[in-house]
Amino acid sequence: MKPRGIYFALFAFFLAGIAFLGGVLIQQEKRQQEEKLISQGNYLVSLIALHPIGDFTGEKGNYILRTIREYISRDGLVYCLIHDQSGGLLASLGARDLVTGIPKEVRTQSLYTPGLTTQHFRAGGTDLPIHEFSKPVYENGERSGTVRLGFNLPAPSLLSPERIKLLGIVAFFIFTISLVAYYTITLALRRLNNLSLSVQSSFLDPASAQASSGKATRIDQVIRDFEQSLRLLKARMSEIETSNMELETKAGVTAFYENQITNILDSMRLGIIIMDSQDNIMNINVYMLALLNGKREDMVDRPIGEALGHEQILAFLVRQQGDGQDRGANSLETAFPEVAPGHVFQVASSAMKDGDGAVIGRLLLVDDVTNEKLAERAKQEFVAHVTHELYTPLTTIKSYNEMLIAGEVQDEETQREFYNTIMDETDRLQRLIENLLNISKIEMGSLTLTRGLVKSDWLVNDCIAAVETAARKKRITIEKTLPDNYPSLFGDKDLLKVAIINLLGNAVKYTPEHGRISFGLSDDGEAAVFEVADTGYGIREEDLPHIFDKFYRSEDPRVKEQTGSGLGLGITSEIVHLHGGEIGVQSEPGQGTHFSVRIPKEEYQIG
Amino acid sequence: MVNGKSVLVIDDEAPIRRVIEMKFRNRGYQVMTAINGEEGLDLIKAHSPDVVITDIMMPKLDGKSLCEQTDGLKDERPFLTIVVTCRISPEERSWTGRMRDTVLMEKPFSPSRLLECVEQYFEGAGCLST
Repeated sequence: MKPRGIYFALFAFFLAGIAFLGGVLIQQEKRQQEEKLISQGNYLVSLIALHPIGDFTGEKGNYILRTIREYISRDGLVYCLIHDQSGGLLASLGARDLVTGIPKEVRTQSLYTPGLTTQHFRAGGTDLPIHEFSKPVYENGERSGTVRLGFNLPAPSLLSPERIKLLGIVAFFIFTISLVAYYTITLALRRLNNLSLSVQSSFLDPASAQASSGKATRIDQVIRDFEQSLRLLKARMSEIETSNMELETKAGVTAFYENQITNILDSMRLGIIIMDSQDNIMNINVYMLALLNGKREDMVDRPIGEALGHEQILAFLVRQQGDGQDRGANSLETAFPEVAPGHVFQVASSAMKDGDGAVIGRLLLVDDVTNEKLAERAKQEFVAHVTHELYTPLTTIKSYNEMLIAGEVQDEETQREFYNTIMDETDRLQRLIENLLNISKIEMGSLTLTRGLVKSDWLVNDCIAAVETAARKKRITIEKTLPDNYPSLFGDKDLLKVAIINLLGNAVKYTPEHGRISFGLSDDGEAAVFEVADTGYGIREEDLPHIFDKFYRSEDPRVKEQTGSGLGLGITSEIVHLHGGEIGVQSEPGQGTHFSVRIPKEEYQIG
Repeated sequence: MVNGKSVLVIDDEAPIRRVIEMKFRNRGYQVMTAINGEEGLDLIKAHSPDVVITDIMMPKLDGKSLCEQTDGLKDERPFLTIVVTCRISPEERSWTGRMRDTVLMEKPFSPSRLLECVEQYFEGAGCLST
């Protein structure tokens, strides 16, 4: 609002105030006059009524009436009526038209009421407001007449000199107070203006917030306190903002890490459940949920005893807890047959501790150890096979020797048979040990060739000799297809012998009695080609891709019933490749198997 | 004296069958041989030998299964079972311990020790495994 408008408003307010005050004063004065009039009227009528009614007639009556008349104009007395016992008018004072204008009921009320009456009415014709006071006159205990006095209450004058004086004084005081108030408010507003500036500056620049000048009035003090409070408020707000930011940052970081942890847990090929110290599930990863066929929201924040429907694991957890200590080494092997049939899982639990060593929760890990179990079983089987393979010839050698030494073998032919058996078993043991050494070298990557000139006819004879006894026992015929000119090779004679003997040995082992093996050697110009074909069980289609894998043994019962380490073909293949050669196989189950080995001759020519 | 006691030798290795057979025959025992557990089981049921000497790792029916299937037969007619094995593992000791009149003997065994064990059994002195 503009200043002029304020002034007008203030002025209007001032006038209204004066008018209201005047009005209040008039009302007040009117009420006072009325009270005074009633008091005066009652007093006067009572006083007049003390006179015997006879006093109002004759000379005495005239005197009294004159005395009363003096009041008429001065104190508002407008009429005085004296009635006799019967209501007849004995004396009358006042304007005739006024007296005739008095309503009848007023007259009746006055004349017949036994005591003092006060009535208010407007006189007919003049319309003046009249107060009538009446009182009966008693003489000797009887009513002898009535005195009636009519007073007109003069209208209070708005502009009476007293009122003007009073209003003037009031106006003066109002004006003075207004001025003082205006000055004070203006001063206060100016400081508040300064305050707003200083508040702004204190928010922008705390250093300038100290600026204050002038006298240290009370309002200055209040303002300073206020400024101080604002500065504190500002500092607190700033602290809260910082703290909020820190909290938000921390919450963000926490959420990030929680997400990260969940992501990491979910990416693990391991079932994980994290529990708090009360064994409520805090986190569970996708892998574990899949095993339990459950949903994360159904699991998290629930006691593990309720959420995990796996009795074995729960019993394991109870056992772990019952021990009262973390026995991380202990584990449980279990299965989830509905979700992962045939798989073996290892369950482990460990306590999670804080920096002070207090237990804050537990971790449950479920690991699929099927492959490890299979590998372990394969290893155990391998060790058992190897042990069996080693101890069997050893047992024969030892027991045959014992019998010979003890002289329990008397006839010469049996003695020869025993010596031959010892020889055969010693050879068998030697081959097995060589195979084991070779496989160890292959495993360690240290199988190397000791090259030299290899005369293939010698090689062929040695190989055939090695399996001849076994073949003869099963009445298996070995047919040889040999060249006229044997190719010479540059290679490792012993290893080549191992490779070929393994093929021939397998042919004997997996060919039923009375079968046939053909062993051929040819020279195709570039390589010497060894071929071993049998009329045995053949290799099942599903086994073919794995026959050169180390330790692989077919599930075919006809193969399983034969002892073997699953090493032979792996070693043969490795030796052939070390010579830069190739090995191939063709097999028809029930018909037989055909292996061919090509060993290139180039190296010899260079040598 | 052996008085016609019979011994059944079950092993897939012919030289081993041969040497045990010879050792016990020389002592006057009747000796039967089988090349796998299945054959051995048939012979036990058919001939009720007094002693069964068996290998564990054998085709068709292994030594453990053979023992489990023949343990019940010892109710009617007790006989000694000697299980010959390469390595005595706790597991093997455990299952043979559950069988009646069954002892373990480690390879490479001595034929004399084997015979001694059988004779101790017949003398009622039991047989200490190796």
